[in-house]
Amino acid sequence: MKEETVDNKKDNRFELLRELLLEEDRDKFTDLSNRILEKESLSEKVTPLVDEKIEDLRKNFPAYFGSTITETIKVQIRDSQDEVVEALYPIMGKLIKKAIVSEITKLSDSINKTITEKFSMKEILKRFFKGKKSDADDVLQEVFEPIIEEVFVIEKDSGLLAGNFTRGNIADKDMVSGMLTAIKSFAEEAFSKEDQNLEDIRFDSFQLTIKNFKSIYIAIATSGVINNEFREVLADNVNNLAEIILRDRDYLSDEVKLNVLIERHLID
Amino acid sequence: MIAKKVLLVGNFGVGKTSLIRRFVLNQFSEDYISTIGVRVSSKIVSYENQEIKLLIWDVAGTSEDEKIPKAYFLGAKAAMYVFDLSREETYLKLDEYVNKVKELSGLKEITIVGNKKDLLTEDELLTVKSKLALDIDLITSAKENENVENAFLKLAANSLK
Repeated sequence: MKEETVDNKKDNRFELLRELLLEEDRDKFTDLSNRILEKESLSEKVTPLVDEKIEDLRKNFPAYFGSTITETIKVQIRDSQDEVVEALYPIMGKLIKKAIVSEITKLSDSINKTITEKFSMKEILKRFFKGKKSDADDVLQEVFEPIIEEVFVIEKDSGLLAGNFTRGNIADKDMVSGMLTAIKSFAEEAFSKEDQNLEDIRFDSFQLTIKNFKSIYIAIATSGVINNEFREVLADNVNNLAEIILRDRDYLSDEVKLNVLIERHLID
Repeated sequence: MIAKKVLLVGNFGVGKTSLIRRFVLNQFSEDYISTIGVRVSSKIVSYENQEIKLLIWDVAGTSEDEKIPKAYFLGAKAAMYVFDLSREETYLKLDEYVNKVKELSGLKEITIVGNKKDLLTEDELLTVKSKLALDIDLITSAKENENVENAFLKLAANSLK
């Protein structure tokens, strides 16, 4: 074997020293290199899966998150009503404004027509003798004249219809009087304190006025604007009608006779 | 023509409304009825050459906790208590329920009707009858229109007493 030179021995020692000193760095380098390679390999495998998931989310987003988003929006709207109103007002406001303008135009036409009629010579002469009613009352009365549409005289406990007047065509007036009695009883028991009675029900342009007496009650459905004068006259007439019926109970068992009485006292 | 208020009482789901549907045509919506707990229907029946207009108040439930206004029971001339033959809970306390209706309405006699006969065999029907605390007047099936007319005629007859 060829003997190594002194210098060569020296070189080997240097190599040995280098290995000793750089061993840790080399390990770190190898580790980092492996990690990078591993990431690249993982990325190649994962990227298609991620792309697929993104595409799935894009297509099915409403199904996955719809209810959560709806709920969030609901909460947001509830908690920020002022902001919502501000945002919607430009759209809703225009619609509401349009509807109001349309109704006011109709009302204005109607008032103009009534005023024109009211200021005819005949009407001017009438005004000198009309008493305490104001012109506004007169005009309103003409435009929204209160009309008695239906009258029901009903036995209080049983809800049986004793007599009635109708301008329309009620399919089953007995059932209506029964249900009205039931609704009245329900409202009185649910909301009343002590012996209070249900006296008014409003629906659409109708108002149902209920007058309670000892063994009967009288329900009057009216349309139009009910002013104080009409209310007072109606109350008087209903009281008179009830008085006659309660004095002569035969009316309660003779529907035809009672119907004539109702028309005479409340309609004519 | 004479008119009488009559009551139809019993727990939810025993078939009172079905009995009435067999007998008269109803026009009120279900939502409305469930709110106030009563449905009023009218029907003219002929009984012993006499025409009677029945105002049938279909009252949902009878017990205190169901918050049925007591006024619904006032002024009635007859009442029918309906229970479901196929549901024990609707007739286990039959005497208690019937007495409650008597107390609220002031009526001395209540017609007791077991409905939904079509859901039971003859043997099962006998078993149910043996468990009842009171005698029943009629067994009906609204589905098969069995005894429905008779039940309302009995109600009409009682309203004249």
